[in-house]
Amino acid sequence: MSWTLLRATLHQRRASMFWFSVGLVFYSWLMVWFWPQIGGGQYAEMIENMPPEMLALFGGNDISFASMGGYFQTEYLGLMWMVIVGCAIVMYGVGSLAGDIGKGTMELTLAQPVSRLTVVLTRIAVLVVYVLVLAAATFVPIQVFGPTYDVDLTARTFWLLFALGSLFMLALGGIAMLASSIFRDSGKPAGIAAGLLVMMWILDLVSNVSEAAELFDPVNLVGYWQPGKVINDNVVAAEAWWVYGAVAVVGLIGAVLVFRRRDVA
Amino acid sequence: MDVITTEGLTKYYGSTRGVEDLTMTVPEGSVYGFLGPNGAGKTTTIRCLLGMLKPTRGTAQLFGTAVNLDGSELRRRIGYVAGEVIMFEKETGRWHMEYVSGMRGAKPSLADELVERFEFDPSKRVRELSKGNKQKLALILGMMHDPELLILDEPTSGLDPLNQEAVYAVIDERVAAGRTVFLSSHILSEVERVCERVGIIRAGRLAAEESVHSLLAKRLRELEVTFAEPVEPAFLASVPGVDKVERIGERTLTARAKGDVIDDVIKRLAEKTVTDVEIELASLEDVFLEFYRAQEGEDPSDDSASDAETPARDDAEGGEVR
Repeated sequence: MSWTLLRATLHQRRASMFWFSVGLVFYSWLMVWFWPQIGGGQYAEMIENMPPEMLALFGGNDISFASMGGYFQTEYLGLMWMVIVGCAIVMYGVGSLAGDIGKGTMELTLAQPVSRLTVVLTRIAVLVVYVLVLAAATFVPIQVFGPTYDVDLTARTFWLLFALGSLFMLALGGIAMLASSIFRDSGKPAGIAAGLLVMMWILDLVSNVSEAAELFDPVNLVGYWQPGKVINDNVVAAEAWWVYGAVAVVGLIGAVLVFRRRDVA
Repeated sequence: MDVITTEGLTKYYGSTRGVEDLTMTVPEGSVYGFLGPNGAGKTTTIRCLLGMLKPTRGTAQLFGTAVNLDGSELRRRIGYVAGEVIMFEKETGRWHMEYVSGMRGAKPSLADELVERFEFDPSKRVRELSKGNKQKLALILGMMHDPELLILDEPTSGLDPLNQEAVYAVIDERVAAGRTVFLSSHILSEVERVCERVGIIRAGRLAAEESVHSLLAKRLRELEVTFAEPVEPAFLASVPGVDKVERIGERTLTARAKGDVIDDVIKRLAEKTVTDVEIELASLEDVFLEFYRAQEGEDPSDDSASDAETPARDDAEGGEVR
């Protein structure tokens, strides 16, 4: 890994990293602040009045939406959070290799005595930093501001959310970087990574009401992201760790292998 | 020692030809001009040398070591100025200099001197720089570590004549200090100014390779002769090596003389009374264009054409036409 490249990559992503983090901190704070306002009785009543099919579509069979976990999952972590971190991670992942090749700046970097392995490992290191920053921006405010608004999560819950959320983002980053290592500009890999995320989200929704869609559950990253269950029950399915870990490792190793052999100009 | 060696270097982008069967050597301490029009394969060759492109066939060696796609040590000895200057738009020139130095792990020994000579302001962001100033920054980044091999792809593109001259002066100094320069260009005056040897690449193939001295020796001469009496074009056209004879008015002929025929021309002119004569050396550019035309078969009587069809090494000048 090259420290110069690491610093430069972080330096160039500082604005997007800052604004995504600020957005997540604000959103997290907003969610814990809203919990006493709409949580409890009123929220439970509103949920009970929803059509049962809609509840089933959004996973109401697996988790009580009126619970704190259900609230955070439906209102924030189960959708909007995925959209926000999905944008951030996909943008970084596809820009880190294909973006630089497409813009031509990779030529400047690789004209220096730095190996492709070093370049791609450094970009992965920045991905890890990015993921940790986004995870911290999401979960630390919930933990810090929570007690003021009756949102008391245990340390174990916090760390489970932090770790699972980070691994989910790394898996997504692995897919984005693998796509990025194949193409010459960021358009196609962005479409592939974002398209996969949207497709997995739709399949996860449909699988709540269709047995046919359940066929894809074992490989559906979105399906393993159950922050509501983590908050309510303090548990994470073992398969979630394995699937996220495997996708992240395969994606990132694939990106390394492809990038080392491809044309970069 | 040869600093650059390629053997049958071939690169195809799918079915599109980049460079084909390129075999050449660049000796240490020389200035090699890599000459060809846009799209001839110059940049592809350079990118293969730098390990940015994987050759379809053939090999490339730098300093006697095979170029490795994932290698980095060879590039420590190379300074590269890309043909199309693309840098990080939001960053300053100083940031780029620190970026490159950081990756090289060495202080840029020539940075201050080059900044001063090119009158470059490193505090400005790249997006604020004109094309010429971006080119200056690219040159500073490529040269500031005083590399053993300078690979320059159209290095004076966008520069004014003063700065062009400054670049040539820096190249001269680097060569005097024992460095090797590989200069890709389609500007013949540039090659003529700085190079010792030139390889002409055409449609992806090395069409010819010879010393600049040899190429210049093949210069064309444009003649304009005014006689005291009316004269027919055949009077000059019958001299071997003279062609494109045209008559302007009754007493003036223009013609083109190729090769070592000027003595014959003067002897023929002496047969009549000449009131005025102009003999103008054609530029290397004209020689180059003539060479291309000959290769394309537009002028089969051309000397270059006959050379091109007979692969042979010109021992006297070290020239080789393929």
